[in-house]
Amino acid sequence: MSENAYSDAKALDLLNELERILESNPLIDEVGFVHPSLFSTLKEAAGSSASSQDISEHENTNFWIRDHKLGISTQVLLPLYKAAKHAFMAALREYKTSENLPGNSVDDSLESEVMSHSKALLMLSCDFGTAWNSRKFIVLKKQLLPMFIDELLLSALILSYAPKSERAWSHRRWVIHTISGNSILQQIIEGESELVEKIAERSKMNYRAWNHRCWLVSYMTREQVLHQLEKSRNWASLHIADSSCFHYRRRLMLRIFEDFCHTQADHSSDYNFKIYNIWKDELDWNAALIKRYVGREALWLHRRFLSSYWIRHIATDLHVVSYQFDFGSFIDHELCLLDSCSTIPDDDFEDFQAQAIHSATYIVWLTKQIPEPQRIDIQEKLRARDLNRLLNTACPERSSLWDCLVGAEASSQV
Amino acid sequence: MIKNKRLGTEKSRDKGLGFGESRDERWLWMSGVVDDVEDPIPKIKRLPVADHHLSSPPKKPPSPHSPLSACLMGELAADKHVKYIISIEKKKDSFESVVMEHLRMSGAYWGLTTLDLLGKLEAVDKEEVISWLMQCQHESGGFAGNIGHDPHILYTLSAVQVLALFDKLDVLDIDKVSNYISGLQNEDGSFAGDIWGEVDTRFSYIAVCCLSILHRSDKIDVDKAVNYIVSCKNLDGGFGCTPGGESHAGQIFCCVGALAITGALHHVDKDLLGWWLCERQVKSGGLNGRPEKLPDVCYSWWVLSSLIMIDRVHWISKEKLVKYILDCQDLENGGISDRPDDAVDVFHTYFGVAGLSLLEYPGLKAIDPAYALPDDVVKRIFFGK
Ligand SMILES: [Zn+2]
Repeated sequence: MSENAYSDAKALDLLNELERILESNPLIDEVGFVHPSLFSTLKEAAGSSASSQDISEHENTNFWIRDHKLGISTQVLLPLYKAAKHAFMAALREYKTSENLPGNSVDDSLESEVMSHSKALLMLSCDFGTAWNSRKFIVLKKQLLPMFIDELLLSALILSYAPKSERAWSHRRWVIHTISGNSILQQIIEGESELVEKIAERSKMNYRAWNHRCWLVSYMTREQVLHQLEKSRNWASLHIADSSCFHYRRRLMLRIFEDFCHTQADHSSDYNFKIYNIWKDELDWNAALIKRYVGREALWLHRRFLSSYWIRHIATDLHVVSYQFDFGSFIDHELCLLDSCSTIPDDDFEDFQAQAIHSATYIVWLTKQIPEPQRIDIQEKLRARDLNRLLNTACPERSSLWDCLVGAEASSQV
Repeated sequence: MIKNKRLGTEKSRDKGLGFGESRDERWLWMSGVVDDVEDPIPKIKRLPVADHHLSSPPKKPPSPHSPLSACLMGELAADKHVKYIISIEKKKDSFESVVMEHLRMSGAYWGLTTLDLLGKLEAVDKEEVISWLMQCQHESGGFAGNIGHDPHILYTLSAVQVLALFDKLDVLDIDKVSNYISGLQNEDGSFAGDIWGEVDTRFSYIAVCCLSILHRSDKIDVDKAVNYIVSCKNLDGGFGCTPGGESHAGQIFCCVGALAITGALHHVDKDLLGWWLCERQVKSGGLNGRPEKLPDVCYSWWVLSSLIMIDRVHWISKEKLVKYILDCQDLENGGISDRPDDAVDVFHTYFGVAGLSLLEYPGLKAIDPAYALPDDVVKRIFFGK
């Protein structure tokens, strides 16, 4: 294999070059691995517009850098990784040894070696936990805010090529948690949400990214929560299959309601009304999306949450003076939605069939969620619709589930 | 109405140069890498920037329509998978394999458990594995993913599971390992993954499972551990990484597994969770891990084991799932992939075989849905030989 042809010395040259590039270009914000055949294409594309100095600096076939984007040739990945790992592990061993010597202060050059080798290594192997940990150790010892901020930047850079890197996400949480007493926190929280949105745009349904955003919610002020709810709405309507974004909205809505319950003191009817409207808006918006985008699971699951929480908490716990919750008309509205979604036209069977199944399972879900006395109500109204048959025809694979859920209801009526 | 089946789904990918945009890496999950989150193994087959230009391994070639492969269709190519697992160790000099070295301990667990389920554990040199494994133990008592790396609770469980497979738990200083784990429990009952404090319900499962195997459950506050897990339950019946985290089949396995081991399954709304889980089965018969996701062989394990633990496995079609897993085999070179015709890896090979074992596929040892170890190994741990 040609990759084996790299001598140790040559591999070390590569590592030195990478570290020099990283050091002299602190603003690099994206990194990627590029096949050698693409290098010339990239250079041509950039050639006309670039300043000559910019090009000549890294004129080789191993690295490509422009506009804060760094490309690493796939051909050198293996020797580069080996050199980086070897250099990192050696520096770390030496650093730890000197750390343990009594009364001895570690000299800064060892620290900076660990920092630069770990950075190079993480460019190549994003989940190399020991490299992330060594950085935490040093940054924690130094206690300098700019160093913490640099860690956020490095993590963002790694996420640019590995948006699902668990260690990179977790490193961010460690930084944020560690500096959470600092006044800069609220500013960071805003930036984090933007980062997640940017990454989620490129990396669809990225659980780690959205999980990070949900984690941030507990650090947000009440105003930030409300702002996030408003801001994420547009994104969600452009990505209606990304269930994680809807979960994020659920998290925000639950936080708003929790705050409400915990601060009994300022139960102004204004705030009551605000919460009531948030829920009502979300239900209406969701219904509009359901009618617009046929057969989307994420939308219907979001509705399950909205309706059951609405019935159980919002409509009953909130005392909105001007409003009397009318359970019957709420149910009628939902049945109306069911009826409009459960007809399957001939032309586009698949989407409409999915829509029919989702609407029927949604109604079954609702009947399970609502308290006993009202349940009779809805079961009464459902009897005419023969849900069991609809479900068993549209989705025979789950007949044992339907028998259990709907069949039991039916027989308990007899 | 907009009939836009693809809007925002996994299938839709932005076009453009976009560095890093087309990478479909998958991270380990039980073991620090989660595929899609969720898988641990980075699929280097698609590197950033224009997939087709890359030198990385291509998709496996389409099977020739020979009479041989035709008659193999629909059956588990057990011998091929054994050969594949054994071959992984020998292919160490590619970028794809070296970037996995930090989680080699979990790789060992996946590979060896697969071999054991296939009845071929004796094909590996037990002493060699154990001698390497013991060099991965840190002075704190925890295990690292490889020699010289930092310890983590993920690899500590993998190490304990591998030793259990070999019936070699006696080489451990049990108190040292269990002190490492109990030292990671927080005041609220949750567990950190290592000294750096990341909290996740996966780590709760690992702690509970590992200490149970070591007969040291008394070292932690089990009630608090259970309460924390319950606090991560969502209104859809599923569980997330932390309170308020989105439900995910992998997290659900961890939470249900931990509750099963601690005898606390009464905290689970079985009908509600079973419903969410069985909605993970898609038309092809495969299971996904979250709404709107593509099916993936590894969820055969997480969804299926959870359904079994809560006694709702009859809510999915087992036959279709068996067929889906078998369709993901590489019949030429062995191994199982996440989806038909993708490149195989040890992670999906393990979950495919483990899934088939849960489905009582003939010729495989039975596997325990909570401990993720063969039934006979679990019996040996708790009832002696
Ligand atoms: Zn997978």
